[in-house]
Amino acid sequence: MAYIPINRPVRVATDLKAMVFEDLDINLFELYAAVVGGSQPGLIEGRTFRRCRLQGPAIMLVSAGVTFDDTNFGDSGGDIRNLLLQPMGTRALGTIPMRSCAFENCEFYNVGFTGPQPVLDMMAGVPTGPGAAL
Amino acid sequence: MTDIMSEAFGREIVARDTFEKEGVWLPLLAAHVLNAGEAVIKGKTFTDCVIQGPALVAVLDGTTFDGCNMGAASDPDSMLFTPRGPHLVGAIGLQDCRFVRCRFVQIGYTGSPQFLEDMGKSLARVGRPS
Repeated sequence: MAYIPINRPVRVATDLKAMVFEDLDINLFELYAAVVGGSQPGLIEGRTFRRCRLQGPAIMLVSAGVTFDDTNFGDSGGDIRNLLLQPMGTRALGTIPMRSCAFENCEFYNVGFTGPQPVLDMMAGVPTGPGAAL
Repeated sequence: MTDIMSEAFGREIVARDTFEKEGVWLPLLAAHVLNAGEAVIKGKTFTDCVIQGPALVAVLDGTTFDGCNMGAASDPDSMLFTPRGPHLVGAIGLQDCRFVRCRFVQIGYTGSPQFLEDMGKSLARVGRPS
């Protein structure tokens, strides 16, 4: 498989508690509010996203079991490190934690990424530029 | 019921310069500001507000915090992030904004090395939950 750009018209996700999202546009902070709720900490777990556009502003905490296939992480300005943030503490407040989620042929807009050092190192090695996708 | 993602709501909230005694969902405000063509939230005053995330804030020139509760964590550094590159994607820029007696919930912070050092000291002093 290879990444195929998403050119369809906007289709906003209405059921944000679904486990599988296909061909939809999703605001990550809305998804977090729907899944986790008010101000208590929590995470988004076990979801599959196919051919979705995922929008910020948001910082995704990439936790165990998250996979990206043929995914466009967004406009990095030619340097993938612009999408990455290093947590300074043992936890990562203010982020949208994801665990065991799969992203297949998705596109991210205005989303940054953080996580454990091996995840950041892996993402720092992702090629950027036209047509590049993990 | 108000559709908070609607263009009309977005125009209304972006046009406001002051927020007082209310909850502000920061990523929503930022999304509408971005949709209006502005790169950062600029020139707004928040007084006695709860500033709700999840969001990572980039504190830019002219933004001040007076008597605010910036959040609490057993490890205050958990609210701080270092950018890996020269630019920031996914963070919400705050420029020339004033926060007075606000409480920040589910908010992380990033900025220059000097800002992170100062913020780290400040959070370590007052940010630990009692």
